[in-house]
Amino acid sequence: MPRAIFDDPDGTLAMLRDSVEALSARSPGPASLRAKRSRKGDSDPALWSAMAEAGWVGLLLPENLGGAGLGLTEQAVLSEALGRALIAEPIAASSVFASVLLRDAPSSTERDRLAAGLAAGSLRVSPAWRRPSRHSAARMLAASEDQAGIALDGELQFVDAATSATDFLVVAPTRAGGVLLSVPAASPGLTLEERAGVDGAMIGSLRFERVRAPRERVLAQAESVDALVDNAVLHARVALAAELAGIASKAVEMTISYTKDRVQFGRPIASFQAVQHRLVDMWSDAEFACAAVVNAVVRQSGSDRRAARMAVLAAKARAGDAATSVCRRAVHLHGAMGFTDEHDIGLYLKRAVALSATLGQPEALRLEFVELERAA
Amino acid sequence: MMATDWNALSDEDFRAAFRDLVKRRLPTELRFMRKQRPLFDEVAVWYHALAEEGWLSPVWPVKYGGMGLNPAKHMIYVEEWGRLGCPRIPDHGIGLIGPLLIEHGTEEQKATYLPKILSGEHVWCQGYSEPNSGSDLASLRTAAVRDGDHFVVSGQKIWTTLAHCANWIFALVRTSRDDKVRQKGITVLLIDMTTPGVKVRPIANLRGETDFCEVFFDNVRVPVENIVGEIDQGWNVAKSVLGHERIFLGAPTRPEIAIERLEKLARARGAFEDPAFLSRYAKHRLDLYDLGSAFERFAKVLRDGGELGADVSILKIFTTELYQRITEETIALAGEDARYFDDIEAGNDRVDAMNLFLDSRAPAIFGGSNEIQKNILSKAVLGLPG
Ligand SMILES: Cc1cc2nc3c(=O)[nH]c(=O)nc-3n(C[C@H](O)[C@H](O)[C@H](O)COP(=O)(O)OP(=O)(O)OC[C@H]3O[C@@H](n4cnc5c(N)ncnc54)[C@H](O)[C@@H]3O)c2cc1C
Repeated sequence: MPRAIFDDPDGTLAMLRDSVEALSARSPGPASLRAKRSRKGDSDPALWSAMAEAGWVGLLLPENLGGAGLGLTEQAVLSEALGRALIAEPIAASSVFASVLLRDAPSSTERDRLAAGLAAGSLRVSPAWRRPSRHSAARMLAASEDQAGIALDGELQFVDAATSATDFLVVAPTRAGGVLLSVPAASPGLTLEERAGVDGAMIGSLRFERVRAPRERVLAQAESVDALVDNAVLHARVALAAELAGIASKAVEMTISYTKDRVQFGRPIASFQAVQHRLVDMWSDAEFACAAVVNAVVRQSGSDRRAARMAVLAAKARAGDAATSVCRRAVHLHGAMGFTDEHDIGLYLKRAVALSATLGQPEALRLEFVELERAA
Repeated sequence: MMATDWNALSDEDFRAAFRDLVKRRLPTELRFMRKQRPLFDEVAVWYHALAEEGWLSPVWPVKYGGMGLNPAKHMIYVEEWGRLGCPRIPDHGIGLIGPLLIEHGTEEQKATYLPKILSGEHVWCQGYSEPNSGSDLASLRTAAVRDGDHFVVSGQKIWTTLAHCANWIFALVRTSRDDKVRQKGITVLLIDMTTPGVKVRPIANLRGETDFCEVFFDNVRVPVENIVGEIDQGWNVAKSVLGHERIFLGAPTRPEIAIERLEKLARARGAFEDPAFLSRYAKHRLDLYDLGSAFERFAKVLRDGGELGADVSILKIFTTELYQRITEETIALAGEDARYFDDIEAGNDRVDAMNLFLDSRAPAIFGGSNEIQKNILSKAVLGLPG
């Protein structure tokens, strides 16, 4: 069945997959998602600790910062496996995005403290950098600098694990380019608003009112901030694509097994040609998504930066479309059962929609791809 | 009170009369409700108002307290209902069991049940599907065994819409078995849900609402006179009910609601300035427009006094798939806001993008899934072998 296939000479990747399966056997993702949803949480602390302990939260952080020192291949395999298991934790934001920012930022005491805490699971470091869209009435975040440090005013949106966070990694525009700094969750003047996400986790918006941060909390400044964010986005998109590919693959498998078991008209419904052709189409979409993810990962080690970026855009678009449309068809093939909240297939659909909408919907990514290609 | 001859009114006058009624009797807070399936109590004011004004039951004959509308007038009724944002009422009594009794019930059954539907004393639900009998309804197994002047019913129904607010269920039960013709041996039975042995468990759906339920029957005693039509002939009884009303399964109502939301979001986000969006929107818009033409093609058959054939199912397939395409477009247009479960901002207003997207999964499944419709069309209309 569909899977992202990488060279795995020493079996590390297979082991990684096995350990995700073992974790999901102990704490099943769908149960965790439902529990989180009913208590209006943004993360499952027990699951997150287990993942930190396994070395997955700091997977991309170098060993000298407390991480596992692994690369995008391992990240993709991990995210794909988490997607399959529907372990719906904010891995793309609170692990991948945050790790890449910290890994790439210049060395400082604060950077090292956050990285070590993130990897160990003792700190929850949530990136906060999405400015309100132009359709929103929210105020843009602005930072001003003086002798004592930075003062922040305005709002940021789409903050994952906002209530769970101990520290936010805030990106704010200043007159001299941007600034990346850490802001403790308990800072005076910082308030949080939450809205329910479709995948069961609350999504935060932060409001800053004269929130002050000392100079020591600044992790990067000026042009370098854009490049840092850019690279974090790229990595997070690969992780999201892999998670989506995992969701698509698993949804195909679940539907194959459901339609083989479900008997109507004296036969398994999977024996009807209309159903078979649909399943083949779904499987094909999942295979393409997995292939796109592998391509995106492999291209990162090449020297062509543009080709590397294009591959990521393609993979996130392909996997996003594949996961949402596979899950839509999966729900349909489950009949009324698929329309219940009790069956897991609907949760896969919701998670797929949420991740596909994160960091660029398929169409926007495809347009970016073509723009990059044609700019040459 | 002399009953009005509604069919004698001009279409304009009839429309105006309905609008006037809505203006006078429908509380504003009940208009354009988000909930697809309000419970009886939530819309009781409207239900009783309709009954008082003689508008509750559009197609029942006048002598049973209906309006006796012809199909043309009935279509206006349904159209205006949607356009004015009237809330869905628990309508299994009016729409399904009422017509079934009028056609197949005894005079006594009609006298007993029809007035109680109109008064709202009886709220009905439809117990057809079972855990192992969905598309293949004829395989149903809930058993009714004769014991003196009662049937003893045991078994289970599922996906029973509004069973948790109903007090009566009309169920298809098995009274005998014929291995060659599975449709034989099925009987329509009216069951008082307050009888000992009936248990209802609501099931939450994808939208987080509980519209449908499981209904369990554990040795439930039902008087023999509660069968409708002939014993063992329930399949034909049940099939005959939906005559001209099958056209409404293909009504453009859902995609109409969906495109209104899409337009609202598109306006708020300036998407109409984007040629790529505009082009996709135009496709949906014309799909909806042309659905109107196709609907009219079948409506004309009814207006001319004809009967609908199996081919009317193409409307159901088209409208349910269009509903899905438009809600998917809305989710795409929402951008990152498509992560929210709750309604999203559209200018000063809000749009229930996710609610409709999730809801659009259902109509392609219920009322005969689209695959089942296609199986019927391929045989009954195209005459294909197999
Ligand atoms: C919102 C909702 C409300 C409902 N309300 C009621 C109600 O009030 N009362 C009631 O009795 N029932 C109700 N139903 C049940 C509805 O009638 C059934 O869901 C429907 O008949 C399909 O049956 P199933 O769900 O068991 O799916 P299945 O029959 O198991 O079908 C599963 C999938 O297989 C496909 N399939 C099945 N057979 C074939 C075939 N031969 N060829 C190709 N594909 C096939 C179907 O299209 C579907 O995609 C409701 C359902 C929903 C979703």
